[in-house]
Amino acid sequence: MTQTVQGSGVRAGDAGPRRSFDGLRGNRALWAFGVLALTWVAAVLFARGFGSLASVRYLVQTASFLGIVAVGQTLVVMMSGIDLSVSAVVALSAVVCAQVAAGSGGAVAILVALAVSALVGVVNAAGIVWLRLPPMVMTLASTTVISGALLIYTNGSPKSASIPLLDALANGSVAGIPLATVLWLGIAAVAVWLLHLSRLGAYAFALGTSEPASRASGVPVPVTTLVMYAACALLAGVAGLVLLGFTGTSSLTMGNPYQLLSIAAVVLGGTSILGGRGHLLGTVAGALLLTLLTALLVAWNLSEGLRQVALGLLIIVLLLLYARERRTA
Amino acid sequence: MRNRLDLLGLCALLAMVLVVYQRLDPTLLHPSTITILSAQFLPLILAAAGQTIVMLTGGIDLSLGAVLSLGMAVFVIYPPDAPGGVVAAMALALAVTVLAGAANGVLVAYAGLPPIIVTLAASFLWGGVTLIVLPQPGGHVPEGLVRAYNLGWHGLALPAIAIGVALGLWKLVKTTHFGLALYAAGGNEHGAYANGIDTRRVKIYAYGLAGLFTGLAGIGLAIQTGSGDPTIGVPYTLNSIAVAVLGGISFFGGVGQMRGTLLGALLLGLLTNLLLFTGISTFYQMILQGVVLIVAVAVKTLATRKAVA
Repeated sequence: MTQTVQGSGVRAGDAGPRRSFDGLRGNRALWAFGVLALTWVAAVLFARGFGSLASVRYLVQTASFLGIVAVGQTLVVMMSGIDLSVSAVVALSAVVCAQVAAGSGGAVAILVALAVSALVGVVNAAGIVWLRLPPMVMTLASTTVISGALLIYTNGSPKSASIPLLDALANGSVAGIPLATVLWLGIAAVAVWLLHLSRLGAYAFALGTSEPASRASGVPVPVTTLVMYAACALLAGVAGLVLLGFTGTSSLTMGNPYQLLSIAAVVLGGTSILGGRGHLLGTVAGALLLTLLTALLVAWNLSEGLRQVALGLLIIVLLLLYARERRTA
Repeated sequence: MRNRLDLLGLCALLAMVLVVYQRLDPTLLHPSTITILSAQFLPLILAAAGQTIVMLTGGIDLSLGAVLSLGMAVFVIYPPDAPGGVVAAMALALAVTVLAGAANGVLVAYAGLPPIIVTLAASFLWGGVTLIVLPQPGGHVPEGLVRAYNLGWHGLALPAIAIGVALGLWKLVKTTHFGLALYAAGGNEHGAYANGIDTRRVKIYAYGLAGLFTGLAGIGLAIQTGSGDPTIGVPYTLNSIAVAVLGGISFFGGVGQMRGTLLGALLLGLLTNLLLFTGISTFYQMILQGVVLIVAVAVKTLATRKAVA
């Protein structure tokens, strides 16, 4: 049992904090950090400008947008769910914030945007729990609904907004570390607690391992699902706000890259897409790794097409290296 | 029996939509309207057919949109005055999409990675290849073909015929040993394997066949619009999944009929058009699409839950 189920919810729930971090040691999340370190060394050696402190700072700053979304995605994937609506929520949050800010000021706008984002997560969870929709169908449907609603809300032309707080959050730094990165790491820390140290996290792992077994053993499925999806959507909303601060404008398509990249970051971080196995810190490495790879491909002056081909091949090769699923016997 | 009820429900819904449609647009059954509608629906129908085949194996294809664009791109960049002309262009485009699909299948079968992950990475890969083949919208399709396709050729609705031929092909495939193996492998992989079915080969063929349907969808889209666009396929990935699910194809493989997928695609397409007649902004189409998907799948799940649990 202990050999076959690494870092599973059963163990995390039984043995508490210490075991959970043991899980990381034997886990593929460590691989993700290893590959990240190797890639970075390779980048410093074979590409220009990756060794400087400024470049590292820029890298972690840009990785935090994807990173925040991916942390949320991890919460959902761990219980064998998936959230395809993160792309729409990123745009929703930014667009709503920009729109509301024009009339009611920045603080209100931020609160409204976050509330709307979390609401999407609650609706997703409600559909999955009570209407019994497969997560992929439910979040896909909310993606199209949100996209349509945003078109109607903005009449096709979303506003730009300059909100000092978001501007500081996206571009400012403390002690040389970008604030966006500080925010990301803070969020990741809370999420590590939620997923790996709290009771709710143990439930999520259990759900990811086997839903019927969890139901039978009294896991509160609705509450767990609700919290995880709401947290995922809320984090996508936060990412949307930081992006709004970064670019100063909102657009209807600004979230699109995050739909698939957030899932890629989770999986590259060593989490099983089937749920129940992995560590949230791996996702942090996964987001950094994807951002670094992209930056590297840009530095090599490859065309957009070649960049995508290379990224696709690299993802497949890396996954073959360390993320193969054990064949179910 | 449950399956039949599903299909009957979809048929009833479709009939209702058709009656309303006929009242708003009395030319519904004229050949020219059928031609226009089928030209408009063909890419989604064929893409959803491809997605259905993959879903029947218990997989999912997130790279479908990218492969669709790839087929479109290869088709429109082949010079029309080169040997073979349009026919060669079609053959080349289909060869490329079948290979792309089969490559996905090889990875799913042999790499030990879940289909959702393989095809997610493949969506970057094929999207990139498409951008290399056709960096920006362009290329060309013979004008005569575009006209014949969209306006009818001697009174024949070419896109409708193409859909019919493609679905006839599926019908044929389904009766073969491979067709049986496909359902068997999707329904119970280990059981199928134990009964001597080479489940890996079945998966590779299935993804390749899905590539064929996806390629046909791409070619249809190119002929309909008269040119190529390297990113136009992207929405088809999720829309094809939505239509297949609407048509009763299970995520877990082995369950569902291609008829269901066809009805699902027609239903969604006609509903979207109905909204146009009402004069409501086209922005509402997307909301409608999402709501239809939720309601249809939820009603089905809740109606059949008792029988399952």
